[in-house]
Amino acid sequence: MNLKTMRAGKYRSNGGFFGDCIEWLDARLPLSAFWRKHFSEYLVPKNLNFWYFFGSIALVVLLMQIVTGIFLAMSYQPDATPNADGIPVAFASVEYIMRDVNWGWLIRTTHSTGASAFFFVVYLHIFRCMLYGSYRKPRELLWIVGVVIFYALMAEAFTGYVLPWGQMSFWAAQVITDLASAFPFFGTALADWVRGDFSVGGATLGRFFALHVVALPLALILLVVLHLVALREVGSNNPDGFEAQKRVNVEGTLLDGVSFHPYYTVKEVFALSVFLLVFFSLVFFAPEGGGYFLETENFLPADPLKTPEYIKPLWYFTPFYSMLRAMTRPLLGVDAKLLGVLAMNGAVGVLVFLPWLDRAPVRSIRHRGPVFKVMLSLFVASFLTLGFLGAKPPEYVLWGAIPGAPIARAATFFYYFYFLAMPWWSKIDLCAQETQAA
Amino acid sequence: MNSTAGDLKTEGETARETDCKTDTRRRRLVAAVALVGGSGITAAAFPLLSSLAPSARARLAAAPVEVDLGDLSPGHLKIVEWRARPVWILKRTPEMLACLAEVADRVLDPESKQAQQPKNCANATRSIRPNLLVVLGVCTHFGCSPVPRFTRGAGEGMPAEWPGGFVCRCHGASFDFAGRAFKNTLAVKNLEVPPHRYLSETRLVIGDGAESTT
Amino acid sequence: MTPMTTRAALLAFCLFLPFQSFGGAALPTAPEVPRDALQEGAELFVNECQTCHGLSFVRFGQLAELGFSEKEIAEKLLAGAPGEFMRVAAKRDDQKRWFGVAPPDLSLTVRAHASSEGSGADWLYAYLRSFRRDDASPTGWNNDVFTKVAMPHVLWRMQDATNPEEGAADALSPEDYDRRVATLVGFLAWAGDPHAALRKRVGIGVVAFLLVFSALAYALKREYWRDITGDRRQETGGR
Repeated sequence: MNLKTMRAGKYRSNGGFFGDCIEWLDARLPLSAFWRKHFSEYLVPKNLNFWYFFGSIALVVLLMQIVTGIFLAMSYQPDATPNADGIPVAFASVEYIMRDVNWGWLIRTTHSTGASAFFFVVYLHIFRCMLYGSYRKPRELLWIVGVVIFYALMAEAFTGYVLPWGQMSFWAAQVITDLASAFPFFGTALADWVRGDFSVGGATLGRFFALHVVALPLALILLVVLHLVALREVGSNNPDGFEAQKRVNVEGTLLDGVSFHPYYTVKEVFALSVFLLVFFSLVFFAPEGGGYFLETENFLPADPLKTPEYIKPLWYFTPFYSMLRAMTRPLLGVDAKLLGVLAMNGAVGVLVFLPWLDRAPVRSIRHRGPVFKVMLSLFVASFLTLGFLGAKPPEYVLWGAIPGAPIARAATFFYYFYFLAMPWWSKIDLCAQETQAA
Repeated sequence: MNSTAGDLKTEGETARETDCKTDTRRRRLVAAVALVGGSGITAAAFPLLSSLAPSARARLAAAPVEVDLGDLSPGHLKIVEWRARPVWILKRTPEMLACLAEVADRVLDPESKQAQQPKNCANATRSIRPNLLVVLGVCTHFGCSPVPRFTRGAGEGMPAEWPGGFVCRCHGASFDFAGRAFKNTLAVKNLEVPPHRYLSETRLVIGDGAESTT
Repeated sequence: MTPMTTRAALLAFCLFLPFQSFGGAALPTAPEVPRDALQEGAELFVNECQTCHGLSFVRFGQLAELGFSEKEIAEKLLAGAPGEFMRVAAKRDDQKRWFGVAPPDLSLTVRAHASSEGSGADWLYAYLRSFRRDDASPTGWNNDVFTKVAMPHVLWRMQDATNPEEGAADALSPEDYDRRVATLVGFLAWAGDPHAALRKRVGIGVVAFLLVFSALAYALKREYWRDITGDRRQETGGR
């Protein structure tokens, strides 16, 4: 089958059976048109570097989570009642998968490591957007859809984490559903409504299962499709930041672009193989990830009467958890608990406004001045610090001398300052001229 | 591109050769990647598909079952569960045994030539002990459980020539007192005899046979 | 840093990080126990621990993986059919009434006690060797690793050479006691993750395959990107 013949009009078979099948299909579906538009004739800037892999890797991880998730859902039982040994049925069903289902241990560890891999990849994907200004005009909607995907992904990860019904699952559910009670007047009723009960229990597990297995995956798939459609409409950004579309030759061909197929299909296959190499090394040799992928406390079945010594979320939520805990004093009439909830949610919400907060004349870090580089480095440092502190108990003291709580507050403040003061500091930055260098 | 002294080829020809070499190299590489990648994906499908097969729990739950036959009187049927299916234990009367010879020409497989029983039950009575039939109460058509119709003749809604045996109410298949399928019904195999052995005069173990076909 | 160095550093970081244990190693490392020695641990568990603690996710038949024959399982270890789980005979509610707290199931105890101070096996090894007499506690025993534990020192006859009732003949030397406890810990570590050995074997194959595939994929990428980078050296035989 020679795909080159697809270039002009509909596919014409050169006589083989396979070719005849493709010709038959192409007469009835826009196959060759789709192939040309999105693969063989879709032009992408040729200078995309390794920061640009993470989007397609995220898509592969999403597919992997869906496939492993389907097989897990065949044997998992969302039932919090204790079995004859006093162990919750849900917890026992996960152990059943790990021990008795053929290759169940591999499916489960792929899924649990996959969740961490998903966030690792998505965080780097978001960071790339911040480096090269991929959220700026005309890609604002693409960016906003991405932020919504991030929200949905956090909800998906959270509901999924509750399902094994271990100690951490239960108490994380308790803490997070209790956030709803922070709101005045209707808070308690809202929390009860979210939980389906006056305290986290079987009702909560049942609805989290439905959300995790059906509702949120559907939402994620639709959002990702929307994200890709929006991307194809405006084209990819590139590390130099200038709009590649602008430079065309007399025939209208993109001067700085190469066709997606074969150049980027080939590059992404390589990137994917490296990613899978790292990923499966972890799955097979470090599935618990030192307690970061499968928390040790979660190997104990849920006990509503015994709170674990340290309740902490998985590593990818720790920065936001840190912000939740950092607000210990009321401010402007809003009490500390509600302030924490708002800080945590606002941290993701503020991302939506980034395209309008950034007032620099250039897109990419390559043409930006020292202010941007300093601010971005401090932003990354504060995000990582928040993450580190979020995994520690609230009374943690750094090196036995510096208490962690004020540092968390300072880091939260800087996180917000980075965004809210951006219209000012991005404007005062000394940027280079946007050059058209190849 | 290098041109050695005395090279008689034109530049155009050399360019075509290089293109050919490039094409071949690319085709080979694509084929190699496709082959290795394809085998990887196939290998990855294996654990997923294997997880659908009966798990260790299912395999181990298929443990043998011990039955006490002390209370079973002649002409009566005892039903026990093994591997979530009914097993019939029928204490046959002399009349029932005589009936077996009588209906030999009315059943599909009178000598049990099909592999529906362990080797030690491939005999005229399809059992280890002639007076005890141990058979899976699962119709070999589509798996419903037949009901006993032991009375000879037109009683219990049966036709006059009915010799006695079991009848499946789903699609009308019928079996004799050795579980052999009658001719001209939808069942084409005799009822399956599970591997079994006797621990004593009155104790039977189903699912654990000295000689078994499964 | 050149792009290649950044990428290599990031990759090394990813591969290196999960295998690190952060924080000081406060617990001594539990000794490695070979597979055949785990049989001793299994017998020890069934004889000493199973009166109170269940191992409800492990089946009796699974013990064959440790090298026991079916006959050995039936004679030395069996309290039920091979397909049955190694449950504790008493009911949980009864145990709660008798002891104040139901003794936990031990199937996952090794996995549930890993920390920055050491693996779960290290914790369990330290725990079983840290019992000391304490007249203030209800059982007369306390533990340095798990203070105010409700469990008495079940293995006291093996460890305590000075007990007046049984006499010194029953007790083991400290090295022997440590060795026996190590087999018990090894057995419980196996019970927590019975597929660990298979996992590592399959893992080597998968990683090897992915290394080969990555090399091939890189060659393919380089080949096509020659069109863009203008590198035509391979075609003329130069390299």
